[in-house]
Amino acid sequence: MQFVNPNKVLLEREMNELDKLVIDFISILKKHVDYVIISGYVSLLFGRSRTTEDVDVFIKELTDKHLAELYENLTEKGYWCINAEELQTISEYLNSGSAVRFAKINSTIPNFEVKFALKQLDLEAFKDFVVVETRLGQLKISSLERQIAYKRFYLKSPKDTEDAEFIENLFKDKLNKDKINKYKILLKSI
Amino acid sequence: MNFLKPGKDNTEDRLNFVRYWAEYCRTHTDEDWSRQQNILINAMMHNAKTFPLSPKEYLKLKKEPCNR
Repeated sequence: MQFVNPNKVLLEREMNELDKLVIDFISILKKHVDYVIISGYVSLLFGRSRTTEDVDVFIKELTDKHLAELYENLTEKGYWCINAEELQTISEYLNSGSAVRFAKINSTIPNFEVKFALKQLDLEAFKDFVVVETRLGQLKISSLERQIAYKRFYLKSPKDTEDAEFIENLFKDKLNKDKINKYKILLKSI
Repeated sequence: MNFLKPGKDNTEDRLNFVRYWAEYCRTHTDEDWSRQQNILINAMMHNAKTFPLSPKEYLKLKKEPCNR
């Protein structure tokens, strides 16, 4: 992989079935709303040797009209929401800060855990992101420093600590340590 | 590249492997490490199709509501 700059990485990996699904889902999503992929899938994209059942995605808040258009487009392309069928229920979940999960119709794993970025710290992921250029298209992920800080200082499970360790060791000389510390302080205050 | 160091316990052993694998990914081509990682991830994708869970069953495990 080539670390072009703190906001761009070129990745020449062979894409697996999960990567292809992510590219497909994101190609639909990004027509309707700005997004950023966060958490576990980011580590997997760069090579972490584990699997995941879900891909976490922040999207910007949508009006009911725009959410309806997105939902209709996802449905047309073979996805369903596994939490609810009715648009109104999906909208209520998202607007209350809960995530909703989309998967290929008649399946549940893997799924996309989609959430409105409503809090200030969540919204900052849209300003601090990395574009990963893959063989099948671009993916927008939250910054590596943010990933590390969230996993190491907020989520803290063994799996999350290992994800943070992986990204730190992989990009060790490319990371902005001051930014990790900034996030660490912000996360300790919530 | 250094050899993989055994850990004193499971936690250390896992972390040692994470560091070893990160070093491997850093020092080998993307094609090389991804070919190995894909075996694991594609197997998970295959298993998910072979043993599907209904939304109700899955969300019960996640302790999340299901209105389907």
